[in-house]
Amino acid sequence: MIEFQGVSKWFGPLKVIKEISATVDKGTTIVLCGPSGSGKSTLVRTVNRLESIQEGTITVGGMDINAKSVNVNTLRTGIGFIFQQFNLFPHLTVIDNVMLPLRRIHKQSRKEALPAALLMLERVGLADKANSLPADISGGQSQRVAIARSLILKPEVLILDEPTSALDPEMVSEVLKLLRQLSGEGITMMCVTHEMGFAREVADRIWFLKNGALTFDAKPELFFSSGTHPDVRGFLSSIQKNH
Amino acid sequence: MLEIIREYGLMLLIGEYPHGKLGGLALTLIISIVSLAVTFPCAILIALARTGQSRPLKAIASGFVHSVRAIPLLMLIFWAYFALPMAIGFPIDATYTLIIAIVVYQAAYLGEIIAAGIQGLPNGQVEAAKALGLGYVPTTFRVILPQAIFNVIPGIVNQLTTIIKESSLGSIIAVSELSYVMLQVNSNEVTKPLQIFGILAATYFILCFALSQATNWLERRIANRRTGRVLVEVIA
Ligand SMILES: Nc1ncnc2c1ncn2[C@@H]1O[C@H](COP(=O)(O)OP(=O)(O)OP(=O)(O)O)[C@@H](O)[C@H]1O
Ligand SMILES: [Mg+2]
Repeated sequence: MIEFQGVSKWFGPLKVIKEISATVDKGTTIVLCGPSGSGKSTLVRTVNRLESIQEGTITVGGMDINAKSVNVNTLRTGIGFIFQQFNLFPHLTVIDNVMLPLRRIHKQSRKEALPAALLMLERVGLADKANSLPADISGGQSQRVAIARSLILKPEVLILDEPTSALDPEMVSEVLKLLRQLSGEGITMMCVTHEMGFAREVADRIWFLKNGALTFDAKPELFFSSGTHPDVRGFLSSIQKNH
Repeated sequence: MLEIIREYGLMLLIGEYPHGKLGGLALTLIISIVSLAVTFPCAILIALARTGQSRPLKAIASGFVHSVRAIPLLMLIFWAYFALPMAIGFPIDATYTLIIAIVVYQAAYLGEIIAAGIQGLPNGQVEAAKALGLGYVPTTFRVILPQAIFNVIPGIVNQLTTIIKESSLGSIIAVSELSYVMLQVNSNEVTKPLQIFGILAATYFILCFALSQATNWLERRIANRRTGRVLVEVIA
């Protein structure tokens, strides 16, 4: 579904992604982890062209996303993207946030867009918050609204960059539960997270990045086993200390 | 003082209307509000050019803003009054002349206020809109501008106060707004300049003071809303 072939990226003189080649199969869930500054955010942001690449190719569904013929907005409607800080539009109610893509991209009227948006809010368990403003709901609820908004155009791919890092501990599980459910429903997912319990349970493969290179790409069983990469072992013990 | 108000009060309010043209305070208010209303869309365009990606548009907008800010409004009024009719080949009513000059002048200032509102938004707002696949127009008009303009409402109201004061320059080109009317009253009643200009000053003061109080109130409300939002984010 998503294929990286020799992908490199520089910020000025700094090479932050180093010749990454890897594949995300359709319907699978990839968890990305690694130390701070290792390039996790940058790598997932290249998939919907929030970051450009200087070398290599990225294909999504067989299409070279950086080809001249590709319309970047069309590409992005097919890829849901979730940020750490939710980035809901604070001047719009929850339901208006979710309806925005239907109305402004699919050019639907409010009346046409409403049923689908309500259904999507129900799926994330927030139908009762439809008319609230983002300022009046919790962080966990905000992230679920952001997920609903990104799924409203039925993308085949969902990318999440530390979706639970800005949340209080008691709100992490409601978001992870939703992600677990989505992963089970067959969406192709790339998720940057340090929630190793989630990774072990939900990921089909775990990617470990270090200094911009994909150091280790393995199934969870191997990733968490004693036979894992030495860098991973160091990383796992360091995040265990912090928790 | 009271006898002046008794005798000229109506003139102060509406000029010679209904026997002649509308003038006085009513004309001052109309000129100010029309000027602001026409300035607003121009200022948005300037702000979009200033904060946008296109280098040529950026250069044009910033050239305009810096030129306008380096000349007095009175100069623009002279240009609009003397030079513009020659350039376009037909005369323009003095009231329109005044409005044109104020619009050109204020577009530069209001444009900077709205540009600051746009730049003050968190980067995540544009990124989220991009990630959803929204193009430039919906991102600008549905996501960026509603928030940016809301946040600078106090600055916009404040600019209305400035325009009301600036409109008094219309008296120089015989626009019969508030100041011009009182100048004429003064030439009728040669011996009472203190009272006449006292009344004039008081009228401007009441109007502008009320508006600046409204600005303060709006500023507090918007600040509260913002911190309310930030608080929610921190707690969440
Ligand atoms: N816009 C930018 N300009 C310049 N350098 C950047 C930019 N964004 C990221 N970098 C650099 O690129 C490298 C990778 O950053 P990235 O944010 O992808 O790391 P990360 O793995 O997501 O880290 P974290 O866990 O802290 O989120 C870092 O060295 C960072 O300083
Ligand atoms: Mg990151």
